Amino acid sequence: MDFDFNEQQSMLKTMARDFLAGACTKSRVRELEKDEKGYDPDMFSKMAELGWMGLIFPEKYGGMGAEFLDLMVLMEEMGRNITPGPFFSTMGLCAIPILKFGTETQKKKYLPPVAEGRNIWSLAYTEKSGRFSPVDINCRAVADGKNYVINGEKWFAPFAHIADYLLVICRTDVAKAGTDGLTAFLIRAASRGIKTELIPTLSGDGQCRIKFKNVKVTNRDILGKLDQGWKVINYLMQRATILKCAEMSGACEAVLDMTLAYAKDRVQFDKPIGSFMAIQHKLVDLLTDVEGLQYVVHNAAWLVSTGARADMAVSLAKAKANEVYQRVCIDGIKIHGAIGFTMDHDIGCYFRRVKADEFMLGDTDLHLEKVAGEMGL
Amino acid sequence: MDFKFGEKEDRLREEIKKFAKSELVGMVGVSGLEEESRDEDWEFSLQISKKLAQRGWLTMAWPKEYGGQGASFTEQYVYMDEASYRGIPGTQMGVSGIGWVGQSLMLFGNEEQRKKYLPSIAAGEPDGIWCTAYSEPNAGSDFANIQTRAIKTGDEYILNGQKIWTSCAHRARWCWMAVRTDPNAVKKQHGISLIILDMKSPGITIKPIVNYAGIHIFNELFFDNVKVPVSNLVGTENRGWYHLMQSLAFERHSIAPQFYGGAKRTLEYIVKYVLETKYNGKPMAADPLVRHKLAERAVELETLRMFSLEITWKMGKGIIPVYEAARNKAYCDLVMRNIATTGTEIIGAYSQVDVRSKWAKIMGNITRMYMMFPGISIAGGTDEVQKNIIGQFKMGLPRPY
Repeated sequence: MDFDFNEQQSMLKTMARDFLAGACTKSRVRELEKDEKGYDPDMFSKMAELGWMGLIFPEKYGGMGAEFLDLMVLMEEMGRNITPGPFFSTMGLCAIPILKFGTETQKKKYLPPVAEGRNIWSLAYTEKSGRFSPVDINCRAVADGKNYVINGEKWFAPFAHIADYLLVICRTDVAKAGTDGLTAFLIRAASRGIKTELIPTLSGDGQCRIKFKNVKVTNRDILGKLDQGWKVINYLMQRATILKCAEMSGACEAVLDMTLAYAKDRVQFDKPIGSFMAIQHKLVDLLTDVEGLQYVVHNAAWLVSTGARADMAVSLAKAKANEVYQRVCIDGIKIHGAIGFTMDHDIGCYFRRVKADEFMLGDTDLHLEKVAGEMGL
Repeated sequence: MDFKFGEKEDRLREEIKKFAKSELVGMVGVSGLEEESRDEDWEFSLQISKKLAQRGWLTMAWPKEYGGQGASFTEQYVYMDEASYRGIPGTQMGVSGIGWVGQSLMLFGNEEQRKKYLPSIAAGEPDGIWCTAYSEPNAGSDFANIQTRAIKTGDEYILNGQKIWTSCAHRARWCWMAVRTDPNAVKKQHGISLIILDMKSPGITIKPIVNYAGIHIFNELFFDNVKVPVSNLVGTENRGWYHLMQSLAFERHSIAPQFYGGAKRTLEYIVKYVLETKYNGKPMAADPLVRHKLAERAVELETLRMFSLEITWKMGKGIIPVYEAARNKAYCDLVMRNIATTGTEIIGAYSQVDVRSKWAKIMGNITRMYMMFPGISIAGGTDEVQKNIIGQFKMGLPRPY
């Protein structure tokens, strides 16, 4: 049993922290919130040069052959800096399932450009309800010989407006419902019939609504097997969810650090406000939350990395991450007082992102229900 | 980074499981502080305690020379975890001896004391049962305010004063005690010492304090010119406060691993209950509200598990967990409270049924936990005390009082 990162992970953490501290300052973050693309192509290509995009790809696909836990460490740092951009959507939501379910042809075609930072991907799964749920999937892919014709709408697809490719989950068997009869397709974003529009969001994080009108794809564009798209989503829900939790965990630590520093610095009634028990105890509660989250996430990520079934551990982590990220921001703002309420202060940057992270890959209710099922209820 | 246990630990778990199966046939053991109340529970726990000692588990992480096995903290954790899960009583009779006296004597006692006291603790015998006397009527959270005096006269201390909330004093052979040895110290903390008191000494009066559920755990102790040999001083005279901080860390550290297994078991019982109990034609387990509450409890329980593992790992690295122990103790209290209250919401009106009644649900475990948790959350330091420690020692904030 070892709670520490190994040497490689520690080095990666330090390197990532240093790089992002310079390349991804809070003023840059704010600029990118207003930027239509929503990311910095220069920062993105530098990350590719550092090997981040293909961190866990085997070398034959242009990757670094690193471990899943190494990627988790990277996500913690990206979360700490609330790094804007399509890194997670490309790498976490799309490249990871391609790595698992792709044919050799698909992997050779799609993964190296991702590793090189040349391609951006978006996951198109959620529909109008905004839920990360198979129940609401109505986007249809109707068979037409060896081809499929896709009609429907997707919502909250991250960075679809600048994506080169989309991973789209469609209902291929309309006689089925829920997790049955779904298929995952790999589609060029510039395909005829695809119309993408940006949903204006609190943090300008590139979330999109995509309309599919008679979009033609072939059976070679299927990821995995026909009507077995749920396998792809389920896999994603383990791997990508825990990475998202790691990102949120990094953000929580940053908010706590910032708040603690403020409580030591801000003087009222002739004392730093952190001297007052009510404030001090709030901070302690936040520390308990943040540490608890880190450990629950680490354990779940480790379990995922062993290849073991980790449904329970991951859902526990996401439910906790959702709760803690929100609480740390709210209590953090309250401890800051009025200054925490301003646009100028950094804490608002984190608060604006809570809901995007909370609902990505399943809200608290979904994950608690998953936990209940795993408990045997 | 990994969170797996080794083969040795897995085998240990199996052995403990077997032990529970053969020793606890058909009985619901009362463990922890509750076993101190009724004679029959105490006697049963004592039997088990001796057997655990014979198996080499009771103080397994202690060095062999003091009756331990030199086992790792991880192995000890596995034993505590599994024993708690299986409801094995007698793992910490009187709590103090195994909980912190042993470790404290190893850290800042002398060799003579270690040789004298540790083997009987390790043997799980009545002679190895300790109580701890810290609190006084005017010194609860304000521990430094203790007034009970131990004044040196020749080769003895003369002890006068009183202690309160002393659990297990009515059963203990020895007492681990904080006293004022320098009544004139400018700073209250600088006049405190730790001494060992022989509970058979003349001049000690014990008055029971029964809790609101009729359980006798606590006591009041009165000392009238009690003689304590100077060889019973632990560590350095008047430096007791600082020794105490370490003892308290050991005390608080042990709570999470001891509690987690039992909490997990209770949650499993509740799950079983809602699967088997129907309401309005459907099992309670189908009710989204029930599912949601129990899942929330699982999140908290998992957090507690990771906190317990972390503190075990740190201790294995030689770190004395001060803030971690405080954090875990407070978190344990939260988990206990939430499982108890959720449990009562689920068994409903049956929450109020006497734990030994034939109509009690889930063997009375929920009601038991519900009655106990407020007291446990106060014992060993209130939430506020734990949080003050974390605020100062971990977060570097000024003392808030």
